[in-house]
Amino acid sequence: MREVAWRLFASEYNDATLEMNGGGERAPSYVVTPLGAKVNRVFVVGVITDVENVGTDIQPMWRARVSDPTGTFHIYAGQYQPEAAATLSKLKPPVFGAIVGKSRVYSPEAGTVFTSIRPERIKAVDESVRDYWILEACRSLRKRLDTMAEAQKMDPLTKEGLAKIGVKEAIADGIVQAVNHYGTVDLSRYTAMLAEGLRYLLPEYREPANPGEATAEPAPAAKEEAPSEPDETELKVLEIIATLDKDGKGAPWEGILEAATSKGVAKDALEESINSLLDKGLIYEPILGRMKKI
Amino acid sequence: MREELAPHVHDINRALGNKVSEQEIERELSSYLNVYRVSLDTAKRSIVKKHGGNPATLAVGVSKTIRELVPGEQSVNLLARVVAVYEKEVTPQGQETKTILSGILGDATATVPFTAWEPLPTPLAKGDVIRVQNAYTKEYRGQVQLNFGVRTAVGKEAPDALPEFKPGPGQPYVSKPTPVRVVDLREGASNVAVTARILAIERREVEVDGNPKAVFSGILADETGKTQFSAWKDFDLKAEEVVRIEGAYVKSWRGIPQISFDERATITRLKSDLLPPASVLNASPRMWIEDLAERGGGADVTLRGILIDLREGSGLVYRCPECRRVLRKGACRLHGEVKGEPDLRVKAVLDDGSGAVTAVFDRELTEALLDKTLDACIAAAKEAMSTDIVRDELADVLVAQPIEVRGNVTSDDYGLMMIVESAKMLKVDVQAEAREMLEGLEGPA
Repeated sequence: MREVAWRLFASEYNDATLEMNGGGERAPSYVVTPLGAKVNRVFVVGVITDVENVGTDIQPMWRARVSDPTGTFHIYAGQYQPEAAATLSKLKPPVFGAIVGKSRVYSPEAGTVFTSIRPERIKAVDESVRDYWILEACRSLRKRLDTMAEAQKMDPLTKEGLAKIGVKEAIADGIVQAVNHYGTVDLSRYTAMLAEGLRYLLPEYREPANPGEATAEPAPAAKEEAPSEPDETELKVLEIIATLDKDGKGAPWEGILEAATSKGVAKDALEESINSLLDKGLIYEPILGRMKKI
Repeated sequence: MREELAPHVHDINRALGNKVSEQEIERELSSYLNVYRVSLDTAKRSIVKKHGGNPATLAVGVSKTIRELVPGEQSVNLLARVVAVYEKEVTPQGQETKTILSGILGDATATVPFTAWEPLPTPLAKGDVIRVQNAYTKEYRGQVQLNFGVRTAVGKEAPDALPEFKPGPGQPYVSKPTPVRVVDLREGASNVAVTARILAIERREVEVDGNPKAVFSGILADETGKTQFSAWKDFDLKAEEVVRIEGAYVKSWRGIPQISFDERATITRLKSDLLPPASVLNASPRMWIEDLAERGGGADVTLRGILIDLREGSGLVYRCPECRRVLRKGACRLHGEVKGEPDLRVKAVLDDGSGAVTAVFDRELTEALLDKTLDACIAAAKEAMSTDIVRDELADVLVAQPIEVRGNVTSDDYGLMMIVESAKMLKVDVQAEAREMLEGLEGPA
């Protein structure tokens, strides 16, 4: 049976510290996330923000960063992924990219775990494909959140108990493994992630101004944001970055700071809005100290 | 006992290169069988291993009836009749596509699906009586499956070597039938009761044991799904009527469960308003792939997912004019170098986040998706001097895109496959759905 391609956000994927080997020589291996997704294959659509050869000229190893509304996926393609490597090497970031690949875990020392993706296929796509992916990732996250909430109520937690409430065996296995490894995870963090993903798709949460709408936003207490001002600042900053990016290599930090100060944006506010813009995937850092609009 | 064991004693002796005396082997074998009561197969393997031989060199398997087969046997011998046989193309991971033989073998006790992974010395036809040596068994979807590998010998026997087995009317059921919804029909279930509306029915003439027989087959449905049915007796069923069928049994065709019933069944006609009208029941149910995987397939289902990859052999292909196989490097694996006939097709991986199927689109569908005719594709390939251009264009249009497909889903050793009947690219109102989900999470904005 072909392994299913999970749709999940970078932040959940990167939270994973549990690797499971199916046992046996050719058995597939899995990365189990805190919400119990038992991932062998993933399908990701995001913004490929940079591609770099971290190998040698003779033996290239292409590394790409792919950002979604919650974080960044790391993709590595070398000589054993010739097609994906060829595609990556030709891409001109920033670009929306769809990636199908296998989950990988790298643990340089005990206690440190890095998750990455070894791509099988990479394709440049448009924004609508990315938006649909976010919706699918939200649906998938929602399902895991609901199931995990049920699982956390069970004592003892068993696959049989999960089967009784209609959870398929493969899913139940991931959940039991996750609970054994991560304990009782705080679901509110992932509920917030879900809301963040959904808001990303909705223009009413993206566009600035319109104070009427802004106050209607049921801002969750945990993520208090002043309703409209940061958006205005962010817009200003975005504009500055776009104007200063004359050679296509991105706007230099000193220039942004200077322009921002002259427009009445303090350094602290500037740093905050740059971080926020980075999080929202509206800008990225092609090289250290330079910012570029997506 | 002694006479029965003699060939096995010889076999063990040969596998050990005659270094252990036959008396010694016979003593050990009888001890394994009578004192430790292990199976003959295990006993033989253990003895060979114990004396430092290789059990894989054992040649004489244990003759069994099909009913006695259990999964995980290393060497079985059978005398059986070919009930059905067909060729199919498979693509083992990382290997070239090859054609294997699959079908069903039967004897007086039962039937078993078989697969021949290597070419056989003689062609097999329905009705042939064959002797199989050194086959092995596995479990697939809870069923014993017989496999012919490199070590397996298959030879034809005279048709009268095995008494003709008549499936016949079977024993009448004694217990009460179990009510089952259509969606819950599972292969192998018997004496079930189904309440359904007949959506279509036709009379067909088939040959059973050389005699013509009428079978009334069609499609029936309840609120949960549709299924093919075959009535082996004329119950005077008519399209549109709602009936309760008691005493039916379930078979499956390539993983799709189908319902059959004969003179053992009773039919009760019910009021028509008991079930939704045919127009409603005829709709193709939208399903998740994980549910299909559990059932092993489904008739006329609708799936929504993303085409995440194109498989080998998608795009402009050339087929053998004799057997319609897709040519590789201009040659058919059966008919050699032939003048191929151009065709378009897509074999893609459709993944809905719960599972994956291989979706196969024929020429007509491919032309519609590409918005390009076969002739235009041939012209483009000529100009580019490669058929890759068609494949690349298909990948451009299809890969990573959400799509809705409708068709029959079947299963084999390599997973689920849908022969797509109709397809449309999905346009999803992402914002509306996101808004709805967000409201469900936080209450209306």
